[in-house]
Amino acid sequence: MTVVIEMLFPEIANLHGDNSNIDYLAQSLGDVRIYRTGLNETPRFVSERVDLVYLGPMTESGQIKAIDRLTPHGSRIAELIDSGTHFLFTHNAMEVLGNRISNAEMNYDVPGLGIFDFTTTVNMFGRFTGKVMGTIDELPHAIVGYKSQFSMVSNAPNVAGFLTAERGIGRNRSTNVEGIRVNNFIGTSLIGPLLVMNPYFTESLLSSIDPTREPTLALRELAVAAYDARVRDFNDAARWSQAELLVT
Amino acid sequence: MTRPVRPIRARMLLAVWAGKLTGALLRLAGRAGTHVPGKVALAVYPGLMSAIPLPPRVVVVTGTNGKTTTTNILADALHNLGVRVGSNRAGSNLREGIIATLMDGLTVLGRSTIDTAILEMDERSARLVLPGLRPDVLVCTNLTRDSIKRNAHPEYIAWIVSSALSDDTTLVLNADDLITARLGTDANRRVFFGVDALGDESRTPHGVAIDVSICPICDHTLVWDVWRFNHIGKVTCPSCGFRSPQADVRALSVDIASGTMDLAMGDTTTTLPLVNDNIVNIYNEVAVAAALTVLGVAVEDIAAQLASLKPPVTRFADETISGVRILRLLTKGLVGVACSRAFEHIPTIPGRKVVLMAIDEASERVTEVENTAWIYDADYEYLADPTIAQIFVGGIRRHDHALRLAIAGVDPTKIVLVESETGAADLVSLDNVDAVFNLHSVHNALISGNPVQDRLRERLLEKVR
Repeated sequence: MTVVIEMLFPEIANLHGDNSNIDYLAQSLGDVRIYRTGLNETPRFVSERVDLVYLGPMTESGQIKAIDRLTPHGSRIAELIDSGTHFLFTHNAMEVLGNRISNAEMNYDVPGLGIFDFTTTVNMFGRFTGKVMGTIDELPHAIVGYKSQFSMVSNAPNVAGFLTAERGIGRNRSTNVEGIRVNNFIGTSLIGPLLVMNPYFTESLLSSIDPTREPTLALRELAVAAYDARVRDFNDAARWSQAELLVT
Repeated sequence: MTRPVRPIRARMLLAVWAGKLTGALLRLAGRAGTHVPGKVALAVYPGLMSAIPLPPRVVVVTGTNGKTTTTNILADALHNLGVRVGSNRAGSNLREGIIATLMDGLTVLGRSTIDTAILEMDERSARLVLPGLRPDVLVCTNLTRDSIKRNAHPEYIAWIVSSALSDDTTLVLNADDLITARLGTDANRRVFFGVDALGDESRTPHGVAIDVSICPICDHTLVWDVWRFNHIGKVTCPSCGFRSPQADVRALSVDIASGTMDLAMGDTTTTLPLVNDNIVNIYNEVAVAAALTVLGVAVEDIAAQLASLKPPVTRFADETISGVRILRLLTKGLVGVACSRAFEHIPTIPGRKVVLMAIDEASERVTEVENTAWIYDADYEYLADPTIAQIFVGGIRRHDHALRLAIAGVDPTKIVLVESETGAADLVSLDNVDAVFNLHSVHNALISGNPVQDRLRERLLEKVR
């Protein structure tokens, strides 16, 4: 089957090299069609079959534009999440689907799409940087990634997380629950990019997107070597600072 | 352009004396003392930036790239014109270094001994410097992506600078950088500099780090009349008619072969030597001309100063031994945009090439794990070039670089992984090679860049013998 991926707003959602998530996924899928939907276009997912909807990291003003463009399609997004369409929203992209985004320094407090019950607080003079290593239920392999962000998401006890951080922080510095996982919706603030840095997870995602094919990860040997080296480093407690760990 | 004289107050003097004494002691101990004296003075009086007596004119130079070059040329030009200049050219560009420079320009009684301060400022320090300093002129060379960890994205840096500016600062801005060009508010006087279309330039942006794609007025996709790199170029909005600003001081044409450019300042066009042959430094030179114009320097004096600049230098160390070129490129790890500029240069060198790459930042080796997301913010695709025969990747993050190269389209059989940062200099075959590139970062320049360069030289000299 030809897998259809829709990248939303790549002209503004392209920070931190994270769009390589899709480059790598496409190289692994082979038979793939990618739509790059601009800000002033109607998203394909509104009226067509899309197998994966992707939104990447944005500036603060970009988040507001994304909210503006996606709000008319909020109920369609919720419907697709309920029916099992794959979504990958990385870095601050998932924040547009919450209840609100507040940014005191830039003097705004805007409603999000309200699909998930959490709020986001942006602190322009408190950029958080750190590593995360955690687990997800379906894989024996750790998920690894980096955080480099101005924003923190509220605890949101009613929304399932993407991973449980064993080292590093989750949605904020008081929880080890990181990101969002609802059906096939994955939202995470991890950058890296996630799919490049986590070959075993990407293999499982490939199987989930196209169950008809045996997953074939592009450049698997190189990807696994890089993953193994990183996991070795992440397992070394000396390489973690107090500033990137949970506040207990 | 005159500013009110700041009163001499006791606490200010005390802070200045403490700073000056610290500086004198550091110099006696054989240290440069460009940061600590400012730190001591600020500890005595945290509000010193708003109180320290200033020279009659204060110019701040900032931007992601080129601020040091621009500061140096500007300070030299004014000095040569007989202006008493104070500058932090040899020191820190943070708040402490700026305070230290201003203190150096004061007598012990707090009277200024200089006419003009030319101060390089780290762009992230703007909110700690600009509100107190209120410079007469701020020059911004450009704002492009920098460290993901420290600088986030250029729009953030623009916000920091803009929100710290006072309305009475004249802004000298890059017309071809829409993020820089929109600094400040309509209350600020803005003077733009730029480089006109240079003939065979692209109109299609490519690469991963394009930070301006939509119209700032109507969000419509912009059309590029000229695209140079990242978001640097000239744009038009086909929907609302918005355009890049017209430059007041501009390079009309650039001739790399003869090392000259035609520079238009007002009604005068002058042919001037290029201080350097790469486009970023051409912008810097035009920025200096624009700043001098704002400072009231006569066009003929500006032309004379820029004409006396040293002849063009190549941006990279380049030597040929036994018919093989060794090109050493500073490839600033953690900053994807800087790496892209280095990678872009490699395929332009003729012949069969090999690349030795060790660009991890040594600062993060022992107690941290480097955030490698920046690797995907750099255009490794430039290295997927058929004239590059092999790429050696060395160092702790070699597996990450190798994967990135392969995703970028480099044939994995061309990629050689080496555990150490210097081992490739022994492993690489120097037969049937026209050029060898030695790519290193900032922090490992001495510990990796130098030994690799030395070993390559040694091996090629052995061939000659």
